[in-house]
Amino acid sequence: MRALVLLAMLLAAAVPWTQARIDARLGRHRAQEEVLYLWSGEQVRRLVPGFEDLLADVYWLRTVQYFGGQRVYAANKRFDLLLPLVDITVTLDPRLQIAYRYGATYLAETYPIGAGQPQAAVELLARGVRNLPHDWRLRQDLGLFHYYFLDDPQRASQILLEAAGMPGSPPFLATLAAQVLMKGGDRATSRQVWRRIYEQDEGPMKNNAAIHLAQLDALDALDAVNGAILAHERGTGVRPASLDDLRAAGYRGPLVDPVGVPFAYDRSEGRATLAPSSSLWRPNLK
Amino acid sequence: MRRLAAVAHNTFRESVRERVLYNLLFFAVIMTVSGLLLGELSIRQDAKIIKDLGLAAMDLFGTLIALFVGVGLVSKEIERRSLHPLLAKPVSRDEFLVGKFAGLGFTLLVNVGLMTAGLYATLLALRRGADPALLKAVFAIYLALLVTVALALLLSIVTSTAVASVSTLCLVIAGRYSDVILNLGDVVPGMPAWALRAVMILIPNFRNFDLKDRVVYGDPVSFGDLGWITAYAAAYTGTVITLAVIAFRRRELT
Repeated sequence: MRALVLLAMLLAAAVPWTQARIDARLGRHRAQEEVLYLWSGEQVRRLVPGFEDLLADVYWLRTVQYFGGQRVYAANKRFDLLLPLVDITVTLDPRLQIAYRYGATYLAETYPIGAGQPQAAVELLARGVRNLPHDWRLRQDLGLFHYYFLDDPQRASQILLEAAGMPGSPPFLATLAAQVLMKGGDRATSRQVWRRIYEQDEGPMKNNAAIHLAQLDALDALDAVNGAILAHERGTGVRPASLDDLRAAGYRGPLVDPVGVPFAYDRSEGRATLAPSSSLWRPNLK
Repeated sequence: MRRLAAVAHNTFRESVRERVLYNLLFFAVIMTVSGLLLGELSIRQDAKIIKDLGLAAMDLFGTLIALFVGVGLVSKEIERRSLHPLLAKPVSRDEFLVGKFAGLGFTLLVNVGLMTAGLYATLLALRRGADPALLKAVFAIYLALLVTVALALLLSIVTSTAVASVSTLCLVIAGRYSDVILNLGDVVPGMPAWALRAVMILIPNFRNFDLKDRVVYGDPVSFGDLGWITAYAAAYTGTVITLAVIAFRRRELT
């Protein structure tokens, strides 16, 4: 009897050990690739009659676990899996509003934060609007994404006005629609767009909005630094050799971005930019 | 009536003795773990997921109990030959069969009732509010379980235990695909409409009993809707139990 208990304990201890070995060989998150075999949400829906909502929850949790939270900056994320995962989720439960909003956010953002597919993000939100026609929040997001990611202020303003006319929508939407139309791509309007998202949301979408707001602050700070570099060059006839020289010359503004990473400086161009090592850096940041 | 109640009472006691209610332990673990973890993982969707999970677990556990215990209700008594001394007492075959059905029905009621209490306790512990509309979905699930028990009982009388298990399972699955059956005419153009209608009537439409999505999203489910669902369940279960009674009367007990 004692030998059997010992054997059972030994075998039980072997379970996590063998699992660790398998993970080391095949990778911890390989299970996500199952979606490659089930590309269609309709296929999955047909497999579980009566349990569609539960399976939608399972897919939703997998999506959040894989693409959100601590893994936001993971370099090896398979963003090609994001759209099928979200598609399966919303096919199983077409009323899961958060899946449209979250999916669209990570589809639209540039790599490494997101998949860099703003058109797919807008299509996902449009699908959400069709499935939840009385939801002003989805319509608001659709408008904001048209403005920010597709550079289409006219369509954005039109959709925001539709959202403003819906029951329960906040009064600022009508003002925002007008601002988007009048000022197009100016930074103050972008700041307002992201501030609204930051104030309304929580979790990864709030964090993402906070990153955008920090980027906008960084761009403001960079404008001031680049203005000072130009003024220094005009005043002394030479460009500062480094940003430290600019500080020594009396510049009092910040020389680091909002996450504390020093700005990069290219003396030949005479321009300061966000350092590529900063978590705020993106290609073509506007 | 007293004899029927006695059979039902014994069936319930037997189910408890056979640890049928142990599934409640799994349910409690599922609810506790999801209550602890989902808030972090799901971005504000914890209440929705807990409701989905709780109702799906009731549906799944209940169906498995209804199916596998239901199939054994009478057939086990026949195989063990424990039915003969029972029928020698002043208990008719009809009373025995209906009593068995009522006993398992009561076991499932206790089971579903405790799972519902667990679901509400989890929601209250998370301060998510105890939505009374959930009871409508629970009631519909319970009706579906009674239909399943009736089918299992009938099939176990007219076939062997193994065949009854498989065929009840097939009917339960087919009943959940009733929308596919309804559209079968589009896929098989030659299929006569009357045949399609006959299949639709024969196979229990378990879609009728699926109110989970509606109540979780707060859609209205009127008492009129529930009334019709109950009437459908009563008609279907009544028919199947009556057929089971007829089959049981004719069955030769060797």
